[in-house]
Amino acid sequence: MPAEPGAVLPVPSNRFRTAAPFDLLRRLFRTRFGGIGLVILVAISLLSIFAPWFASSGPADIGSPSLQPPSWQHPFGTDSLGRDVRSVLLFAGRSSLTIGFCAAAMAFLIGGTIGALAGYFRGAFAAVLLRITDLFHTLPAIIIVLFTVSLMGASFWLQVAAVALAIWPIEARIVYGQFITLSEREFVLAARATGLSTPHIIFKEILPNALPTVIVQVALDASTAILIEAGLGFLGLSDPAVPSWGEMLNRGQEFLELAWWMSVFPGMAICVAVLGFNMFADGVTEMFNPRASATAPKLEG
Amino acid sequence: MGSMLRHIAGHLAQALLLLIGVVVAIFCLLQLIPGDPVQAMVGDMPVPPALRAALEQRFHLNEPFLSRLYGYLVNILHGDLGYSMNYRRPVFDILAERFPRTLLLAGVGYAFGILIGIAIGIHSAVTPHRSVDRAWSSLVLIGYAMPTFWVGQLLVIVFSIQLGWLPTQGMGPMISRASGIDWLLERATYLVLPVATYTILETTRVARFMRASVSETLEQGYIVTARQKGLSRHEIIMGHVVRNSILPVITVMGYSFGTAMGGAVLLETVFSYPGVGSLMVEAVRARDTQVIVGVVILVACSVVFMNIVVDLLYAWFDPRIRVSSAQS
Repeated sequence: MPAEPGAVLPVPSNRFRTAAPFDLLRRLFRTRFGGIGLVILVAISLLSIFAPWFASSGPADIGSPSLQPPSWQHPFGTDSLGRDVRSVLLFAGRSSLTIGFCAAAMAFLIGGTIGALAGYFRGAFAAVLLRITDLFHTLPAIIIVLFTVSLMGASFWLQVAAVALAIWPIEARIVYGQFITLSEREFVLAARATGLSTPHIIFKEILPNALPTVIVQVALDASTAILIEAGLGFLGLSDPAVPSWGEMLNRGQEFLELAWWMSVFPGMAICVAVLGFNMFADGVTEMFNPRASATAPKLEG
Repeated sequence: MGSMLRHIAGHLAQALLLLIGVVVAIFCLLQLIPGDPVQAMVGDMPVPPALRAALEQRFHLNEPFLSRLYGYLVNILHGDLGYSMNYRRPVFDILAERFPRTLLLAGVGYAFGILIGIAIGIHSAVTPHRSVDRAWSSLVLIGYAMPTFWVGQLLVIVFSIQLGWLPTQGMGPMISRASGIDWLLERATYLVLPVATYTILETTRVARFMRASVSETLEQGYIVTARQKGLSRHEIIMGHVVRNSILPVITVMGYSFGTAMGGAVLLETVFSYPGVGSLMVEAVRARDTQVIVGVVILVACSVVFMNIVVDLLYAWFDPRIRVSSAQS
């Protein structure tokens, strides 16, 4: 099961902070899907980064005969322009994954800041911030992205910003929930009583404890961002200068009857990337929430 | 009943405020477009001076910000969503023609998806076999990762192109001689693939929530009590578990209706189905701003409306909700 959004994951704070990276990794691999998710993510990232090593030709090489079905020479076939689909797929992965990571990071910055401020300070200020969040949350993400792109144009980084603008409300809600719960806990009250500064309490006391939940949400956001980019590209509204998986599907739609491989393989790539993020998120949830699975190691600090 | 009425009134007021907020936000965003506002409204087409004067008057373009905003809100409340230069028709009329089609498609898929999703979620949570649960979980995880429109493309490749069983796109044949039941059946064949795609999308969402909700219910004290009373497995699941697990799923239905409307944008494009979603895409391509804004407002309204329905259903299912909201 994908991670339950917004669930507060019980983390004894010092346990998480002092745990060795290797230990965390081992526990991730003991979860149902976490290990597979991480392996998928690392694998597709490496494949895209080192695309020239794995590709048989460049993303713009149109030397091959067009619309060839999959063969030994072209395992994923060739497209209407005579490009090797596998090679284009590898290079296109760069932009699709960049959008995933960057839009999620940006959504975390916007949503995290708003959620943290609302959750820490409460009162009328929080109410206003939460209403603004609701406003954005009312509209489906793809509608917000289309609206923004239609107004501002579709350069690559504008596209990243548009996607972030569409998905930050969920992040804000999650961080808000975490701050509300955690700021009532004894260690935060104690820190306040000792007279520690507000930034110290937010960054050193609350944030580290909210981290597992936040990591889960950022991973889910990245998968959403990749799906939105795929949709935008499919509609032919992404930056035409940058090849992406969605844009490949846009080309494929025209040749659905002649060349199924132009649509099937890019879709699979999107599916695998999204699956990787979701499995990773699921694993992290299970790791910090012993109830989610009986076989997961218990976390007594 | 008094508490129910007050509950409804409170929610309606909130919903109205939210919608006004959406319109104000859209208005502010429109102000950000660089260049001539009249040109932006009309799109990439020449503007005759008479039209320019009419638009300036209608949208109070020469007045200060607040009175422009007020004029905009009043127009929208009167159902005046502007005029599409691309279709040469009022935006309201286009939406009125296309929205029922989208509702038909998304509504049927949504309904099927919820039913099948609930069934899968329950089975996945109560099954005594770990492998069955794992199989459902994996399937749902994969279904959840597939882009909606790509599922549509796959179905087209398999059922229309390879097998030739179903038409690929549109709402009906160009020329039809069928009538009565035959006409209906003919229409239905065009709906099978898009509805199936919707159903797959919706099923994965619901199944995932339902499984989590049922697992939680199973740990409650009253389930243990029911077991000790000697009720059969079937009686416990149907009588206690299902009823109590459905509540959390109802709360996410409102939001997931929004996602279904968002999905319409892509799905209707895959199947060339003339609904609101494909209208949005055509409008973005033609830079037909009035239509884009019209669709955004329509979608916001329908999501807010769905949320009210969900809230009422919830209060009806669980009296504790309406009592606590009336007290606060």
